[in-house]
Amino acid sequence: MTQIVGASSTGAHGAGASSTGAHGAGASWSPARVAERMALLGRPVLWLSIVLLILAPCASFLVLAVSPRLFGQGSQWFTLSYLRGVLSGGSATALLNSVWVACAAAGLGLAVGFPIAWLTGRTDLPGRRFVAGGMWFVLLLPSWLPALGWQRLVQPDGVMYRIGLDWPFVTHAVMGPLGVVLLLGLRSVPFTYLAISVALAGLGQEYEDAARTHGATRTGALRLVAPILAPAITSALAICFAEAVSDFGVASTLAYASHFPLATYQLYSDINGFPPSFSGAAAVGWLLVASVAVPIALQARALRGRSYAVLSGRTRPVSRRPLSRRAKTVAVGFVSAFYVVALGVPGFGAVSASLLADFGASFRLTFVNYRQVLQSSGLSGPLERSLVYGAITASITVVGGFVFATMLAKKRTRSTRLLDFLLLASVALPGVVLAAGYIFAYNQPILSRIGIDIYQTVTLLVLGYVASSLPTNARVLVGAVSQVQRSLQEAGRAHGASGIGAWARGVFPILSRPLTMAWLLTFTAIFLELPISQLLYAPGSPPLSVAIQDNLGNYHFGTGMAQAVVAVAMALVAVAVVLGGYRLLAPVGWRRTGGVARG
Amino acid sequence: MTKACSLPTSTRQRARTRRNPVLAAVVGAVVTASAGASGAAAATAARPTHARSAVVPLVVYSAQGYDKAETQAFQKQFHIPVQLDDNSTGPLLTQIEASKNNPKWGLLWVDGATAFAGLDVQHLLLRGFEPKVAWNSLGRQAVPKDESYVPTGVTLAGAMAYDAAKVSNPPTTWSQLLSPKWKSQVGTNDPSQSGPTYPFVAGMMNYLHGIPQGERFFSQLKANGLLVNPTNGPTLAALGSGQINIALVQSSAAIGAALSDKSLKVRYLNPVTILPSAIGIDAKAPRQEQIEAEEFASYVLSAPGQKVMQSGDPTGDSLYYPVLDGVAPLKALPSLAGVSTQNIDPYVWGPKENTVNSWFDQSIVQ
Repeated sequence: MTQIVGASSTGAHGAGASSTGAHGAGASWSPARVAERMALLGRPVLWLSIVLLILAPCASFLVLAVSPRLFGQGSQWFTLSYLRGVLSGGSATALLNSVWVACAAAGLGLAVGFPIAWLTGRTDLPGRRFVAGGMWFVLLLPSWLPALGWQRLVQPDGVMYRIGLDWPFVTHAVMGPLGVVLLLGLRSVPFTYLAISVALAGLGQEYEDAARTHGATRTGALRLVAPILAPAITSALAICFAEAVSDFGVASTLAYASHFPLATYQLYSDINGFPPSFSGAAAVGWLLVASVAVPIALQARALRGRSYAVLSGRTRPVSRRPLSRRAKTVAVGFVSAFYVVALGVPGFGAVSASLLADFGASFRLTFVNYRQVLQSSGLSGPLERSLVYGAITASITVVGGFVFATMLAKKRTRSTRLLDFLLLASVALPGVVLAAGYIFAYNQPILSRIGIDIYQTVTLLVLGYVASSLPTNARVLVGAVSQVQRSLQEAGRAHGASGIGAWARGVFPILSRPLTMAWLLTFTAIFLELPISQLLYAPGSPPLSVAIQDNLGNYHFGTGMAQAVVAVAMALVAVAVVLGGYRLLAPVGWRRTGGVARG
Repeated sequence: MTKACSLPTSTRQRARTRRNPVLAAVVGAVVTASAGASGAAAATAARPTHARSAVVPLVVYSAQGYDKAETQAFQKQFHIPVQLDDNSTGPLLTQIEASKNNPKWGLLWVDGATAFAGLDVQHLLLRGFEPKVAWNSLGRQAVPKDESYVPTGVTLAGAMAYDAAKVSNPPTTWSQLLSPKWKSQVGTNDPSQSGPTYPFVAGMMNYLHGIPQGERFFSQLKANGLLVNPTNGPTLAALGSGQINIALVQSSAAIGAALSDKSLKVRYLNPVTILPSAIGIDAKAPRQEQIEAEEFASYVLSAPGQKVMQSGDPTGDSLYYPVLDGVAPLKALPSLAGVSTQNIDPYVWGPKENTVNSWFDQSIVQ
């Protein structure tokens, strides 16, 4: 035991390392020794992976704003004209729109997501078990789908008018900034819900009990508890802001149709024009990256110098507060309204579009599109591919995300602040930027000459997926990881477990559920991911989103929508299998102590 | 399955570079892990033993609805493995521009001569190749002087689809679209998002003898309630739902919609702009791949190749006007007799694409 404990301190003390090393070849592959070596290697490897996965591609793209010639995209070695260009005219308007809309969306996400997380985690809300599943459904939908659903409902001569509701004020409200905020805010709710519910479940009953014992009212107890949730709240706000500011699905559909320009659409136009203006797009990208400095600064200010580790071996199970009949009615109504708005409308839009064979000229329903999808031999390959890509990416990302979350949850240093900014900044960049950056960074003639030729291979595609999902994954896990006290692992070590063993038996059960959720979050995001897939997929092996886009772009609108509906259903099945598998296979103790993300 | 996926890629890489074995092992591990993700490549990888030493995989970038059928038929006949990047035109051109220092494509097959002219002036296209075929008048008009791309068919930009149940007397001239009779009833696509729409906008500017005149026409159209959607699909959906009664879209999309919705009719207003689909070959590709690309272009213009083009996407891109003597268009296509067509010079209008599209976005879409 002494030997093991000694090994544990080797990270901090060089002498410990040498003494451990003296135990000879017989112990060379012991878990402690492996952990020790990994600890020594870990930090440089992690930073190298960040540089290769995220920094190099993003920098390769962003540098084009000032040096187009570097990658053969113009004649100037250095210019500020592109950056000056985006600070005026339509680009500046689009950027300002993006920033305020993202702030409002993050606020809306918190305003809706926090109460739902509280109701499902701390009360006897009827049907609370279905809330988490519903959140996954919301996350699963690509953002353009709800946008099209709403558009289809409220546009002039849309469904609303056809059924006799002549409400132009609704059309004006939804087809404008308000509708954009609403859609992006609804999309932010699952992120808030996941972050807050994880933190709430890790927050034992003792804090509320202590407050009540000392005479605090329920509101007073809430006032005590809410600040303890600050890491989760600020993390949720930051990730919601970054996700909203980088969203393209709403920008290219509802915002576009409402003549409300957003920065991501501006960026897309620059890239999609012919010839594309990568430099103009990079200039917009710089400002998007700069915009995430705002939530980062606010988060740092909110959390400075405090510890939020509340999850220990003494954490007491939560007792659910019974709601009165009236409170139950209000709460169920609130949660139901959220799902109707977030899922019902877009679901109606997508399903109705997929059931109309005649471009929507009538309400005659037909399954012809579904028959085409199911009979088409071209669907199964992309579907299988996306399932595999999603699973591989999620598995890699959840490991990396956990490691980064651990680093972020530790005491704030200059390097963790830098890491935090890099991760969030990369979330703020639309996927198309990352994808184009991967081409610039990893398709260089010099790399080909030395045998690194990975453009248009599955390898680069998966790396792109990992890079795009790692930051979000890390941010989602920070809330859970920052709650775990070191004493949990130390207790295991004190009782004779190795470093890995103590972690596996003391910490992992608590984090198992958040890790499972983080895996699913990545899987579902990658399953229907489009911009990176379009630019980086290996020819001959299209992922599902490219196949769907192919149909939508080739006038087979109904078939494409049917394909999207089938794809979402398949992803839901995958989510159900994973969650069901966890429920069946995880030990009861894991589910009890690790139920930090239950819903 | 893994072998089928990785074989063409590695073969192609051998043609251009030598592989680093260590890196290959690392990369291979990930690729192997993605084994199940490569189903479609299995069919494309098969090729006979006798050709192994000579051929390299032909990488085809295509936005055509019939490209899968065409590449499969070509592989079957010539035993040349094809890797198909089937994408929208925008992402394909983005890939080409982003990778132009180290291109990985062999052949590009999309609609719109302006895109090819843009690539040609950057010296990204192989010049001096045209298959020896009997062009008809549409084909002869579409072949560029420097033979840098090969026309494979023609659709029309700005075809008018209308709901015959609601519109008994559709407009017969472009200027009639500006009358109050059609207020808030006309829709078209955004040229920034829809590749085939720029030739329509440029064609109108060409017809009206200048960009300012064309801008005035579209501004008046906007003042008359023009609805702009991103692409053909949403514009035709707006026509189907009754939001608009007239859609100005690519002819193949309009005719395809009319095939599934019998109340829709298609008419061409004079003059209508020719929109050729074409094949361009990468100027920097290995010579062997260029030869294979030439074979592919020749095959597309052969009788069997045309048959596949006309059957590969019967309600979409197959609805094109052939560019060869002796090949008749599909029956669903309206006759061009009496229709005045115009060609826009892609080398004049190609370089103006970004400027015109920016103006359209800021003045018409916003």
